[in-house]
Amino acid sequence: MPTIIIDPVTRIEGHSKITIQLDNEGQVQDAHFHVTQVRGFEKLCEGRPFTEMPALMARICGICPTSHLLASSKACDDIMAVRIPETAEKLRRIMNLAQITQSHALSFFYLSSPDFLLGMDSDPVERNIMGVVRKFPQMARDGIKLRQFGQRVLETLGGKRVHPGWIVPGGVSHPLQASQRDAILAEIPEAIRITRAALQWFKGQIESFRAEVRSFANFPSLFLAMANDTNEFSAYNGWLRFIDANLNVVADNITGTDYLNYIGESCNNDSYLKSTYFKPLGLKDGVYRVGPLARLNMCKSAGTPQADEELAEFRELERHSVLSSFYYHYARLIEILFSVERMQTLLNDPEILGQNVRAHATPNQYEGVGILEAPRGTLIHHYKIDQNGLIESANMIIATGHNNQAINHGVLQVARQFIKGKKLEQGMLNRVEAVVRAFDPCLSCSTHAAGMMPLDIQLLDADGNMVDRLLR
Amino acid sequence: MATWWIGCCGKPQMARALIVGYGNPLRGDDALGLLAADRLRALLPEVAILTCHQLAPELAATLAECDAAIFLDATAEGTPGTVAVTRLAPQSSSAASLTHHVSPQTLLELAQTLYGHTPRALLVTGAGESFAPRHEASPTVASFVPRQQEIPTVPSAEYAESLSPSAREALEKICRLVPELLRGFPALW
Repeated sequence: MPTIIIDPVTRIEGHSKITIQLDNEGQVQDAHFHVTQVRGFEKLCEGRPFTEMPALMARICGICPTSHLLASSKACDDIMAVRIPETAEKLRRIMNLAQITQSHALSFFYLSSPDFLLGMDSDPVERNIMGVVRKFPQMARDGIKLRQFGQRVLETLGGKRVHPGWIVPGGVSHPLQASQRDAILAEIPEAIRITRAALQWFKGQIESFRAEVRSFANFPSLFLAMANDTNEFSAYNGWLRFIDANLNVVADNITGTDYLNYIGESCNNDSYLKSTYFKPLGLKDGVYRVGPLARLNMCKSAGTPQADEELAEFRELERHSVLSSFYYHYARLIEILFSVERMQTLLNDPEILGQNVRAHATPNQYEGVGILEAPRGTLIHHYKIDQNGLIESANMIIATGHNNQAINHGVLQVARQFIKGKKLEQGMLNRVEAVVRAFDPCLSCSTHAAGMMPLDIQLLDADGNMVDRLLR
Repeated sequence: MATWWIGCCGKPQMARALIVGYGNPLRGDDALGLLAADRLRALLPEVAILTCHQLAPELAATLAECDAAIFLDATAEGTPGTVAVTRLAPQSSSAASLTHHVSPQTLLELAQTLYGHTPRALLVTGAGESFAPRHEASPTVASFVPRQQEIPTVPSAEYAESLSPSAREALEKICRLVPELLRGFPALW
């Protein structure tokens, strides 16, 4: 059977490859997204003191260490059975919003903007961030500045841009200073300006990407995200909710104690990334998506004025849920706007300078679960400890794992749309990668070690023989 | 941005200088650039000195405000203990995604293309011999990392204990060399 293999997929966070199988007539029969390296953090944790988990888990990834730091600390809060001080919770929310801002800026400007600005069919030698720098320097400057803003917030609060500290079981390690608050607030207007400009520009481009909108993982599925009483956008506190493509709630009020009743994990023979599924419907029918698209489909309002305006416009794309994964990019920009606005609100709250920022306790239960909305989607850390506070087992479910089945569906859909015959072309190849990129997968978290990511796509015939290959 | 008079002969020139030391303090001799930059803070208090785990594109805007930049890094190539100075020129990398790290040359290119100015730049590398992960903190470091993850954000002199003898030799050389390089600007660059 002819097979095309893309190995590795470029401009994503991590190592992966794609195989596309053709039938005897050269039509795409099947396609798979594979994660090719294992990391195994869950096993590394066993036997370590639970208090080490936030620092250890933050090392999973250089892009989203803050998300793991927060989810891990929440799991440790649960083990200690403490309610953290209100100021600490607000400070943690700011950290999470800054993380969403810098990560989304990286995804949109650094990784995906070359496709939008230079075209899906442009020369791959030019279709990268350096091509954007040369041809669209203002967009590049804006991208750098927006990501820098998010990173400065992380550095101001957590001490470092990458692998920050500060978030600890029970709260945060020390209060925010007025000068730090003011420094962040001073940069917010420019961050909002950049985000709004990017949104305006992107909305104007959507019409020219109709084929991608139609075929980029555009199918009915469930969506999973954090929910709360107000039905506003929620990224830190709340419970989990599944909705379907018609916005009907199919499971609600899911907490750390019962998430395993709803979320199943399946191992794959050809990938180190597990596939999760909505357990009541089983592996095949229980496909769901997480992340910006799911969160915007889930919430009734963003909760901040400018993001709400954009959300209202976003909802006009579809009558029910927005289903095309191409719109992840659009949703990401709206989430940046929300995050910056919400940071401003939190920082203007006088309580943000409160001095009581940490609750102290020893373990009060043998199990803890921390759930958070990370930039790429719902993040779950689940620890069990022994009577000495040492980790007996750890389970992490990462956004890219939640999205794994949807990514595979998307790769197949795009391959069927764009691959015709046995000759590979760069534009086709790039679209297969771009559908993966729309999900902004971060494979470090799931399994692997970071590194350079060349591209290798192999086209295999019906007998498994390679008939064409593209490398770069 | 701090400014510093550099140039030792004739009429001194007002030039804005920046030193960037980078590396991984948990990988033995890879901390060399960080440690050198850290030590140079005391020797060159007027000069802007940055330390970072790895170079990121956000540094381009800062570089564009400088006339002279010195990057300090460790290398696994060359005779351990030796120090090399390389003149850098802006260089674009088509494969760069800018997600994890960029080269000094790419940063110079970014500064020129995006902000219209790039400094004259040198790369000073010290050859190390051991880049193995440090499994345990030194007793001093351990004493100020009590129970949680409050790891110091500035490389402590204690990390120097993890350097190999060759890397320590290179560290001393770099700290003597960099002030001379600055004094020789722009003739040596």
